[in-house]
Amino acid sequence: MSTLQTLAKLPSATAEFANVILTVPDARIGQTPRDTVWTHRNTTLYRYRSDQREHTVPILLVFALINRPEIFDLRPGNSFVEFLLASGFDVFLVDWGVPDEADADMGLAEFICDELHWAVRETLRACGTDELTLLGWCIGGTLCAIYCALHPAGAVRNAVLLTTPIEPNRSLYASWVGHDEFDVELIAERYRVVPGSGIDWANKLMKPVTNYLTTYRRLFQSILGGNDPRLGYQGMAKWVADNPPFPGKAYREWITWMYQENKLVTGGVYLRGQRVDLAQIEQNLLVVTADGDHIAPPAGTIPILELVASEDVTHLERQGGHIGLMAGSKAKQEIWPELADWLRERSDN
Amino acid sequence: MAEHSNPSPYEQAESRAARALEQLVAKPSFGVLLAQTAENVAAITRIGSDLADLVLRNLRIAGRADITRLARQLHRTEDKLELVLQEVEHLSDELARTSMTRTPVARTPPAASPARAAKANGARVERPKAAAP
Repeated sequence: MSTLQTLAKLPSATAEFANVILTVPDARIGQTPRDTVWTHRNTTLYRYRSDQREHTVPILLVFALINRPEIFDLRPGNSFVEFLLASGFDVFLVDWGVPDEADADMGLAEFICDELHWAVRETLRACGTDELTLLGWCIGGTLCAIYCALHPAGAVRNAVLLTTPIEPNRSLYASWVGHDEFDVELIAERYRVVPGSGIDWANKLMKPVTNYLTTYRRLFQSILGGNDPRLGYQGMAKWVADNPPFPGKAYREWITWMYQENKLVTGGVYLRGQRVDLAQIEQNLLVVTADGDHIAPPAGTIPILELVASEDVTHLERQGGHIGLMAGSKAKQEIWPELADWLRERSDN
Repeated sequence: MAEHSNPSPYEQAESRAARALEQLVAKPSFGVLLAQTAENVAAITRIGSDLADLVLRNLRIAGRADITRLARQLHRTEDKLELVLQEVEHLSDELARTSMTRTPVARTPPAASPARAAKANGARVERPKAAAP
Protein backbone atom coordinates (compact mmCIF):
# COMPACT_ATOMS: atom_id res chain seq x y z
CA MET A 1 0.00 0.00 0.00
CA SER A 2 1.47 3.36 -1.03
CA THR A 3 1.81 6.23 1.42
CA LEU A 4 -0.95 8.09 -0.41
CA GLN A 5 -3.30 5.13 -0.18
CA THR A 6 -2.50 4.74 3.51
CA LEU A 7 -3.24 8.43 4.14
CA ALA A 8 -6.48 8.20 2.21
CA LYS A 9 -7.58 5.22 4.27
CA LEU A 10 -6.54 6.73 7.60
CA PRO A 11 -9.83 8.52 8.48
CA SER A 12 -12.05 5.48 7.83
CA ALA A 13 -9.58 3.15 9.59
CA THR A 14 -9.51 5.49 12.60
CA ALA A 15 -13.30 5.54 12.73
CA GLU A 16 -13.48 1.76 12.51
CA PHE A 17 -10.75 1.36 15.13
CA ALA A 18 -12.72 3.59 17.51
CA ASN A 19 -15.87 1.65 16.76
CA VAL A 20 -14.18 -1.69 17.47
CA ILE A 21 -12.84 -0.41 20.80
CA LEU A 22 -16.07 1.31 21.86
CA THR A 23 -18.34 -1.63 21.08
CA VAL A 24 -16.28 -4.23 22.96
CA PRO A 25 -18.90 -4.43 25.75
CA ASP A 26 -21.50 -5.48 23.15
CA ALA A 27 -19.50 -8.54 22.07
CA ARG A 28 -21.27 -11.79 22.87
CA ILE A 29 -19.26 -14.46 24.64
CA GLY A 30 -20.23 -17.72 26.35
CA GLN A 31 -23.07 -18.50 23.96
CA THR A 32 -23.16 -22.29 23.98
CA PRO A 33 -26.56 -23.35 25.36
CA ARG A 34 -26.40 -24.64 28.91
CA ASP A 35 -28.63 -25.48 31.85
CA THR A 36 -28.24 -24.54 35.48
CA VAL A 37 -27.76 -27.67 37.57
CA TRP A 38 -26.99 -26.26 40.99
CA THR A 39 -26.43 -22.95 42.73
CA HIS A 40 -25.01 -21.97 46.09
CA ARG A 41 -24.17 -18.42 47.10
CA ASN A 42 -22.49 -17.00 43.99
CA THR A 43 -21.45 -20.37 42.60
CA THR A 44 -23.37 -21.90 39.72
CA LEU A 45 -22.89 -25.28 38.14
CA TYR A 46 -23.82 -25.42 34.46
CA ARG A 47 -24.21 -28.38 32.16
CA TYR A 48 -23.82 -27.75 28.44
CA ARG A 49 -26.53 -29.14 26.21
CA SER A 50 -25.45 -31.90 23.85
CA ASP A 51 -27.02 -34.75 21.95
CA GLN A 52 -23.73 -36.41 21.11
CA ARG A 53 -22.42 -37.51 24.51
CA GLU A 54 -20.30 -40.61 23.97
CA HIS A 55 -17.94 -40.79 26.93
CA THR A 56 -19.17 -41.88 30.32
CA VAL A 57 -16.83 -39.73 32.41
CA PRO A 58 -18.01 -36.11 32.44
CA ILE A 59 -15.67 -33.13 32.48
CA LEU A 60 -15.98 -30.41 35.10
CA LEU A 61 -14.31 -27.16 34.03
CA VAL A 62 -12.89 -24.95 36.78
CA PHE A 63 -11.52 -21.50 36.09
CA ALA A 64 -9.66 -18.98 38.24
CA LEU A 65 -11.22 -16.70 40.82
CA ILE A 66 -10.03 -13.50 39.12
CA ASN A 67 -11.61 -13.76 35.67
CA ARG A 68 -14.87 -15.08 34.31
CA PRO A 69 -15.02 -18.68 33.02
CA GLU A 70 -16.39 -17.59 29.63
CA ILE A 71 -12.84 -18.01 28.30
CA PHE A 72 -13.76 -21.70 27.99
CA ASP A 73 -16.55 -20.70 25.63
CA LEU A 74 -15.34 -17.52 23.96
CA ARG A 75 -17.34 -17.44 20.74
CA PRO A 76 -18.95 -19.88 18.32
CA GLY A 77 -16.24 -21.44 16.20
CA ASN A 78 -13.57 -20.70 18.78
CA SER A 79 -14.94 -22.33 21.91
CA PHE A 80 -13.22 -25.05 23.92
CA VAL A 81 -16.60 -26.12 25.32
CA GLU A 82 -17.99 -26.44 21.79
CA PHE A 83 -14.93 -28.50 20.83
CA LEU A 84 -15.34 -30.86 23.80
CA LEU A 85 -19.05 -31.31 23.10
CA ALA A 86 -18.30 -32.10 19.46
CA SER A 87 -15.74 -34.65 20.69
CA GLY A 88 -18.48 -36.47 22.58
CA PHE A 89 -17.83 -35.27 26.14
CA ASP A 90 -20.41 -34.35 28.76
CA VAL A 91 -19.26 -30.90 29.87
CA PHE A 92 -20.00 -29.09 33.14
CA LEU A 93 -18.70 -25.72 34.25
CA VAL A 94 -18.40 -24.29 37.73
CA ASP A 95 -18.83 -20.51 37.72
CA TRP A 96 -17.68 -18.77 40.92
CA GLY A 97 -19.86 -15.77 40.17
CA VAL A 98 -19.07 -12.19 41.14
CA PRO A 99 -18.36 -11.86 44.87
CA ASP A 100 -19.01 -8.71 46.83
CA GLU A 101 -18.24 -7.51 50.35
CA ALA A 102 -20.58 -10.08 51.85
CA ASP A 103 -18.27 -12.77 50.44
CA ALA A 104 -15.12 -11.41 52.06
CA ASP A 105 -15.16 -14.46 54.36
CA MET A 106 -14.80 -16.87 51.44
CA GLY A 107 -11.38 -18.46 51.77
CA LEU A 108 -9.71 -21.24 49.82
CA ALA A 109 -11.29 -23.78 52.18
CA GLU A 110 -14.76 -22.49 51.29
CA PHE A 111 -14.02 -22.61 47.57
CA ILE A 112 -12.44 -26.07 47.64
CA CYS A 113 -14.10 -27.94 50.51
CA ASP A 114 -17.58 -26.51 49.94
CA GLU A 115 -18.19 -25.03 46.51
CA LEU A 116 -15.95 -27.32 44.43
CA HIS A 117 -16.75 -30.41 46.49
CA TRP A 118 -20.46 -29.81 46.16
CA ALA A 119 -20.13 -29.01 42.45
CA VAL A 120 -18.39 -32.38 41.99
CA ARG A 121 -21.20 -34.05 43.92
CA GLU A 122 -23.89 -32.39 41.84
CA THR A 123 -22.08 -33.22 38.58
CA LEU A 124 -22.04 -36.89 39.50
CA ARG A 125 -25.69 -36.79 40.49
CA ALA A 126 -26.71 -35.03 37.30
CA CYS A 127 -25.14 -37.63 35.02
CA GLY A 128 -25.48 -40.70 37.22
CA THR A 129 -21.80 -41.64 37.22
CA ASP A 130 -19.33 -42.03 40.04
CA GLU A 131 -16.23 -40.56 38.37
CA LEU A 132 -15.36 -37.36 36.56
CA THR A 133 -12.53 -35.36 35.06
CA LEU A 134 -11.50 -32.10 36.71
CA LEU A 135 -10.04 -29.60 34.28
CA GLY A 136 -8.63 -26.51 35.94
CA TRP A 137 -7.01 -23.49 34.42
CA CYS A 138 -4.74 -21.00 36.20
CA ILE A 139 -5.83 -20.67 39.86
CA GLY A 140 -8.64 -23.07 38.97
CA GLY A 141 -5.93 -25.68 38.31
CA THR A 142 -4.43 -25.09 41.73
CA LEU A 143 -7.86 -25.49 43.33
CA CYS A 144 -8.29 -28.78 41.41
CA ALA A 145 -4.83 -30.02 42.48
CA ILE A 146 -5.63 -29.26 46.12
CA TYR A 147 -9.01 -30.96 45.77
CA CYS A 148 -7.37 -34.09 44.30
CA ALA A 149 -4.82 -34.10 47.13
CA LEU A 150 -7.61 -33.92 49.70
CA HIS A 151 -9.67 -36.65 48.00
CA PRO A 152 -7.19 -39.15 46.53
CA ALA A 153 -9.78 -41.91 46.60
CA GLY A 154 -12.60 -39.59 45.59
CA ALA A 155 -14.59 -39.18 42.42
CA VAL A 156 -11.88 -37.57 40.29
CA ARG A 157 -10.49 -40.04 37.76
CA ASN A 158 -8.53 -37.56 35.65
CA ALA A 159 -7.08 -34.17 36.52
CA VAL A 160 -6.01 -31.69 33.86
CA LEU A 161 -4.04 -28.66 35.01
CA LEU A 162 -3.61 -25.86 32.48
CA THR A 163 -0.97 -23.16 33.12
CA THR A 164 -1.34 -23.69 36.85
CA PRO A 165 0.73 -22.02 39.57
CA ILE A 166 2.07 -24.66 41.96
CA GLU A 167 5.34 -23.15 43.17
CA PRO A 168 5.19 -19.57 41.88
CA ASN A 169 7.52 -18.01 44.44
CA ARG A 170 10.17 -17.22 41.81
CA SER A 171 7.80 -15.57 39.35
CA LEU A 172 7.60 -11.86 38.56
CA TYR A 173 4.37 -11.64 40.52
CA ALA A 174 6.20 -13.05 43.53
CA SER A 175 8.75 -10.24 43.28
CA TRP A 176 5.84 -7.82 43.69
CA VAL A 177 3.79 -9.48 46.41
CA GLY A 178 6.13 -12.05 47.91
CA HIS A 179 8.19 -9.69 50.10
CA ASP A 180 7.53 -8.27 53.55
CA GLU A 181 6.84 -4.75 52.28
CA PHE A 182 3.64 -5.99 50.67
CA ASP A 183 1.18 -6.05 53.54
CA VAL A 184 -1.41 -8.50 52.26
CA GLU A 185 -3.33 -8.37 55.55
CA LEU A 186 -3.83 -4.65 55.17
CA ILE A 187 -4.93 -4.92 51.54
CA ALA A 188 -7.40 -7.73 52.29
CA GLU A 189 -8.76 -6.03 55.40
CA ARG A 190 -9.14 -2.60 53.83
CA TYR A 191 -10.74 -3.74 50.61
CA ARG A 192 -12.65 -6.77 51.98
CA VAL A 193 -12.93 -7.84 48.34
CA VAL A 194 -9.87 -6.89 46.31
CA PRO A 195 -11.04 -5.12 43.14
CA GLY A 196 -10.61 -7.20 40.02
CA SER A 197 -9.56 -4.13 38.08
CA GLY A 198 -6.56 -3.76 40.40
CA ILE A 199 -5.47 -7.34 39.82
CA ASP A 200 -6.00 -6.96 36.09
CA TRP A 201 -3.92 -3.77 36.13
CA ALA A 202 -1.11 -5.61 37.92
CA ASN A 203 -1.25 -8.47 35.42
CA LYS A 204 -1.04 -6.05 32.51
CA LEU A 205 1.81 -4.18 34.17
CA MET A 206 3.98 -7.28 33.79
CA LYS A 207 4.21 -6.51 30.08
CA PRO A 208 3.23 -2.83 29.99
CA VAL A 209 4.12 -1.95 26.41
CA THR A 210 2.65 -5.14 24.96
CA ASN A 211 -0.62 -4.78 26.85
CA TYR A 212 -1.14 -1.03 26.71
CA LEU A 213 0.35 -0.19 23.31
CA THR A 214 1.26 -3.09 21.03
CA THR A 215 -2.21 -4.69 21.18
CA TYR A 216 -3.87 -1.47 19.99
CA ARG A 217 -1.19 -0.72 17.42
CA ARG A 218 -1.61 -4.18 15.89
CA LEU A 219 -5.39 -3.80 15.89
CA PHE A 220 -5.11 -0.48 14.07
CA GLN A 221 -2.61 -1.88 11.56
CA SER A 222 -4.88 -4.83 10.93
CA ILE A 223 -7.81 -2.51 10.18
CA LEU A 224 -5.61 -0.31 8.03
CA GLY A 225 -4.51 -3.42 6.13
CA GLY A 226 -8.13 -4.12 5.21
CA ASN A 227 -8.76 -6.95 7.69
CA ASP A 228 -11.75 -7.23 10.00
CA PRO A 229 -10.34 -8.16 13.41
CA ARG A 230 -13.64 -7.34 15.18
CA LEU A 231 -14.71 -10.92 15.79
CA GLY A 232 -11.39 -12.13 17.12
CA TYR A 233 -10.50 -9.03 19.11
CA GLN A 234 -13.75 -8.05 20.77
CA GLY A 235 -14.57 -11.36 22.47
CA MET A 236 -11.14 -11.59 24.06
CA ALA A 237 -11.07 -7.87 24.95
CA LYS A 238 -14.46 -8.18 26.66
CA TRP A 239 -13.33 -11.21 28.62
CA VAL A 240 -10.06 -9.54 29.67
CA ALA A 241 -11.92 -6.47 30.92
CA ASP A 242 -14.37 -8.47 33.03
CA ASN A 243 -12.61 -8.95 36.35
CA PRO A 244 -14.64 -10.04 39.37
CA PRO A 245 -13.22 -9.04 42.73
CA PHE A 246 -11.09 -11.46 44.78
CA PRO A 247 -12.64 -12.20 48.21
CA GLY A 248 -10.34 -10.79 50.90
CA LYS A 249 -9.81 -14.04 52.80
CA ALA A 250 -9.05 -16.07 49.67
CA TYR A 251 -6.70 -13.32 48.43
CA ARG A 252 -4.82 -13.23 51.73
CA GLU A 253 -4.44 -17.01 51.77
CA TRP A 254 -3.45 -17.20 48.11
CA ILE A 255 -0.73 -14.54 48.37
CA THR A 256 0.59 -15.74 51.73
CA TRP A 257 0.59 -19.46 51.05
CA MET A 258 1.69 -19.39 47.43
CA TYR A 259 3.93 -16.35 47.02
CA GLN A 260 5.22 -15.44 50.47
CA GLU A 261 5.54 -18.78 52.26
CA ASN A 262 5.53 -21.23 49.33
CA LYS A 263 3.47 -23.64 51.41
CA LEU A 264 1.71 -25.76 48.80
CA VAL A 265 4.74 -27.74 47.61
CA THR A 266 6.11 -28.12 51.12
CA GLY A 267 2.84 -29.53 52.43
CA GLY A 268 2.23 -26.63 54.77
CA VAL A 269 -1.30 -25.81 53.65
CA TYR A 270 -4.09 -27.03 55.91
CA LEU A 271 -7.75 -26.72 54.94
CA ARG A 272 -10.20 -27.33 57.78
CA GLY A 273 -7.52 -29.18 59.66
CA GLN A 274 -6.63 -31.48 56.78
CA ARG A 275 -3.10 -31.25 55.37
CA VAL A 276 -2.83 -30.67 51.63
CA ASP A 277 -0.16 -33.11 50.52
CA LEU A 278 0.34 -33.13 46.76
CA ALA A 279 1.99 -36.55 47.13
CA GLN A 280 -1.51 -37.88 47.79
CA ILE A 281 -2.58 -37.14 44.21
CA GLU A 282 -3.15 -40.50 42.51
CA GLN A 283 -5.40 -39.45 39.66
CA ASN A 284 -4.39 -39.63 36.01
CA LEU A 285 -2.69 -36.29 35.59
CA LEU A 286 -2.13 -34.04 32.60
CA VAL A 287 -0.11 -30.89 33.17
CA VAL A 288 0.02 -28.28 30.41
CA THR A 289 2.49 -25.41 30.50
CA ALA A 290 3.14 -22.57 28.05
CA ASP A 291 6.70 -21.49 27.34
CA GLY A 292 5.74 -17.81 27.12
CA ASP A 293 3.62 -17.78 30.27
CA HIS A 294 4.70 -14.85 32.46
CA ILE A 295 1.86 -15.24 34.98
CA ALA A 296 2.38 -18.94 35.77
CA PRO A 297 5.81 -19.71 34.30
CA PRO A 298 6.48 -23.40 33.57
CA ALA A 299 9.20 -23.48 36.25
CA GLY A 300 6.49 -22.79 38.82
CA THR A 301 4.23 -25.61 37.58
CA ILE A 302 6.66 -28.41 36.77
CA PRO A 303 7.45 -29.28 40.44
CA ILE A 304 4.07 -31.00 40.68
CA LEU A 305 5.28 -33.69 38.27
CA GLU A 306 7.81 -34.89 40.83
CA LEU A 307 5.51 -34.60 43.80
CA VAL A 308 2.43 -36.59 42.84
CA ALA A 309 1.93 -40.32 43.32
CA SER A 310 0.02 -40.73 40.05
CA GLU A 311 1.21 -43.54 37.81
CA ASP A 312 -0.21 -41.87 34.71
CA VAL A 313 1.41 -38.44 34.40
CA THR A 314 1.68 -36.48 31.16
CA HIS A 315 3.33 -33.11 30.69
CA LEU A 316 2.80 -31.00 27.59
CA GLU A 317 4.85 -27.85 27.16
CA ARG A 318 3.69 -25.83 24.18
CA GLN A 319 4.34 -22.44 22.65
CA GLY A 320 2.06 -19.70 23.86
CA GLY A 321 1.09 -17.48 26.74
CA HIS A 322 -0.93 -17.96 29.89
CA ILE A 323 -4.26 -17.49 28.12
CA GLY A 324 -3.24 -17.53 24.46
CA LEU A 325 -2.22 -21.18 24.65
CA MET A 326 -5.83 -22.27 25.18
CA ALA A 327 -7.77 -19.37 23.70
CA GLY A 328 -5.53 -18.20 20.88
CA SER A 329 -6.22 -18.64 17.20
CA LYS A 330 -4.05 -21.79 16.97
CA ALA A 331 -5.52 -23.56 19.99
CA LYS A 332 -8.26 -25.29 18.02
CA GLN A 333 -5.73 -26.95 15.71
CA GLU A 334 -3.00 -27.59 18.27
CA ILE A 335 -3.65 -27.98 21.99
CA TRP A 336 -7.39 -28.77 22.03
CA PRO A 337 -7.06 -31.97 19.94
CA GLU A 338 -4.18 -33.08 22.17
CA LEU A 339 -6.31 -32.56 25.28
CA ALA A 340 -9.28 -34.36 23.69
CA ASP A 341 -7.07 -37.32 22.73
CA TRP A 342 -5.69 -37.60 26.26
CA LEU A 343 -9.17 -37.35 27.75
CA ARG A 344 -10.72 -39.79 25.28
CA GLU A 345 -8.32 -42.55 26.33
CA ARG A 346 -9.32 -42.08 29.97
CA SER A 347 -13.02 -41.25 29.83
CA ASP A 348 -14.72 -44.57 29.23
CA ASN A 349 -15.49 -47.48 31.49
CA MET B 1 4.53 -12.13 9.87
CA ALA B 2 5.82 -9.04 8.13
CA GLU B 3 6.33 -7.40 11.50
CA HIS B 4 8.93 -9.97 12.48
CA SER B 5 10.65 -10.20 9.09
CA ASN B 6 10.98 -6.51 8.44
CA PRO B 7 10.02 -4.38 11.43
CA SER B 8 9.65 -0.66 10.90
CA PRO B 9 11.78 1.78 12.93
CA TYR B 10 8.72 2.47 15.08
CA GLU B 11 8.21 -1.23 15.78
CA GLN B 12 11.89 -1.63 16.64
CA ALA B 13 11.62 1.28 19.09
CA GLU B 14 8.47 -0.20 20.57
CA SER B 15 10.16 -3.56 21.00
CA ARG B 16 13.13 -1.95 22.75
CA ALA B 17 10.81 0.04 25.00
CA ALA B 18 8.91 -3.15 25.85
CA ARG B 19 12.10 -4.93 26.88
CA ALA B 20 13.32 -1.96 28.91
CA LEU B 21 10.02 -1.59 30.77
CA GLU B 22 9.81 -5.33 31.44
CA GLN B 23 13.26 -5.14 33.00
CA LEU B 24 12.16 -2.13 35.02
CA VAL B 25 9.05 -3.79 36.46
CA ALA B 26 11.10 -6.89 37.35
CA LYS B 27 13.33 -4.91 39.71
CA PRO B 28 12.76 -5.46 43.47
CA SER B 29 12.56 -1.71 44.04
CA PHE B 30 9.62 -1.54 41.62
CA GLY B 31 7.90 -4.25 43.67
CA VAL B 32 8.34 -2.19 46.83
CA LEU B 33 6.99 0.92 45.12
CA LEU B 34 4.03 -1.01 43.82
CA ALA B 35 3.31 -2.45 47.27
CA GLN B 36 3.34 1.00 48.87
CA THR B 37 1.10 2.38 46.15
CA ALA B 38 -1.37 -0.49 46.55
CA GLU B 39 -1.51 0.04 50.32
CA ASN B 40 -2.05 3.78 49.94
CA VAL B 41 -4.82 3.30 47.39
CA ALA B 42 -6.46 0.68 49.64
CA ALA B 43 -6.30 3.00 52.63
CA ILE B 44 -7.77 5.95 50.72
CA THR B 45 -10.51 3.79 49.24
CA ARG B 46 -11.47 2.51 52.67
CA ILE B 47 -11.53 6.01 54.19
CA GLY B 48 -13.75 7.21 51.35
CA SER B 49 -16.04 4.21 51.69
CA ASP B 50 -16.36 4.59 55.47
CA LEU B 51 -17.07 8.29 55.09
CA ALA B 52 -19.80 7.68 52.51
CA ASP B 53 -21.31 5.04 54.77
CA LEU B 54 -21.28 7.43 57.72
CA VAL B 55 -23.10 10.09 55.72
CA LEU B 56 -25.77 7.62 54.62
CA ARG B 57 -26.20 6.27 58.12
CA ASN B 58 -26.69 9.76 59.55
CA LEU B 59 -29.34 10.33 56.91
CA ARG B 60 -31.05 7.15 58.16
CA ILE B 61 -30.46 5.44 54.81
CA ALA B 62 -29.10 1.91 54.57
CA GLY B 63 -25.44 2.02 53.60
CA ARG B 64 -23.09 -0.55 52.12
CA ALA B 65 -22.27 -1.99 55.55
CA ASP B 66 -25.97 -2.57 56.31
CA ILE B 67 -26.53 -4.32 52.98
CA THR B 68 -23.43 -6.45 53.52
CA ARG B 69 -24.68 -7.46 56.97
CA LEU B 70 -28.03 -8.44 55.49
CA ALA B 71 -26.37 -10.38 52.67
CA ARG B 72 -24.25 -12.29 55.19
CA GLN B 73 -27.38 -13.34 57.05
CA LEU B 74 -28.85 -14.57 53.76
CA HIS B 75 -25.64 -16.49 53.08
CA ARG B 76 -25.81 -18.19 56.44
CA THR B 77 -29.39 -19.21 55.74
CA GLU B 78 -28.45 -20.47 52.30
CA ASP B 79 -25.56 -22.50 53.75
CA LYS B 80 -27.97 -24.20 56.14
CA LEU B 81 -30.50 -24.79 53.35
CA GLU B 82 -27.81 -26.36 51.19
CA LEU B 83 -26.87 -28.79 53.96
CA VAL B 84 -30.53 -29.68 54.49
CA LEU B 85 -31.01 -30.27 50.75
CA GLN B 86 -27.94 -32.51 50.66
CA GLU B 87 -29.27 -34.47 53.60
CA VAL B 88 -32.65 -34.84 51.88
CA GLU B 89 -30.95 -36.05 48.71
CA HIS B 90 -28.86 -38.49 50.71
CA LEU B 91 -31.98 -39.88 52.40
CA SER B 92 -33.78 -40.00 49.06
CA ASP B 93 -30.91 -42.01 47.55
CA GLU B 94 -30.91 -44.33 50.56
CA LEU B 95 -34.64 -44.83 50.17
CA ALA B 96 -34.24 -45.58 46.46
CA ARG B 97 -31.51 -48.10 47.20
CA THR B 98 -33.60 -49.78 49.90
CA SER B 99 -36.65 -50.05 47.66
CA MET B 100 -34.44 -51.38 44.86
CA THR B 101 -33.18 -54.23 47.01
CA ARG B 102 -36.79 -55.09 47.85
CA THR B 103 -38.10 -54.93 44.26
CA PRO B 104 -35.29 -55.31 41.75
CA VAL B 105 -35.95 -52.92 38.86
CA ALA B 106 -33.74 -51.24 36.30
CA ARG B 107 -31.54 -48.65 37.99
CA THR B 108 -32.08 -45.09 36.93
CA PRO B 109 -29.51 -42.38 37.60
CA PRO B 110 -30.32 -40.19 40.59
CA ALA B 111 -32.03 -37.06 39.36
CA ALA B 112 -31.84 -33.72 41.10
CA SER B 113 -34.57 -33.43 43.69
CA PRO B 114 -37.55 -31.20 42.80
CA ALA B 115 -36.62 -28.85 45.64
CA ARG B 116 -33.03 -28.49 44.37
CA ALA B 117 -34.14 -28.07 40.78
CA ALA B 118 -36.48 -25.31 41.88
CA LYS B 119 -33.68 -23.68 43.90
CA ALA B 120 -31.27 -23.85 40.97
CA ASN B 121 -33.85 -22.17 38.74
CA GLY B 122 -34.50 -19.49 41.31
CA ALA B 123 -38.12 -20.55 41.79
CA ARG B 124 -39.94 -20.58 45.11
CA VAL B 125 -40.76 -23.96 46.53
CA GLU B 126 -44.43 -24.09 47.45
CA ARG B 127 -45.18 -26.08 50.57
CA PRO B 128 -48.63 -27.37 51.52
CA LYS B 129 -50.27 -25.14 54.09
CA ALA B 130 -50.93 -26.60 57.49
CA ALA B 131 -54.58 -27.27 58.20
CA ALA B 132 -56.27 -24.75 60.46
CA PRO B 133 -56.72 -26.01 63.99
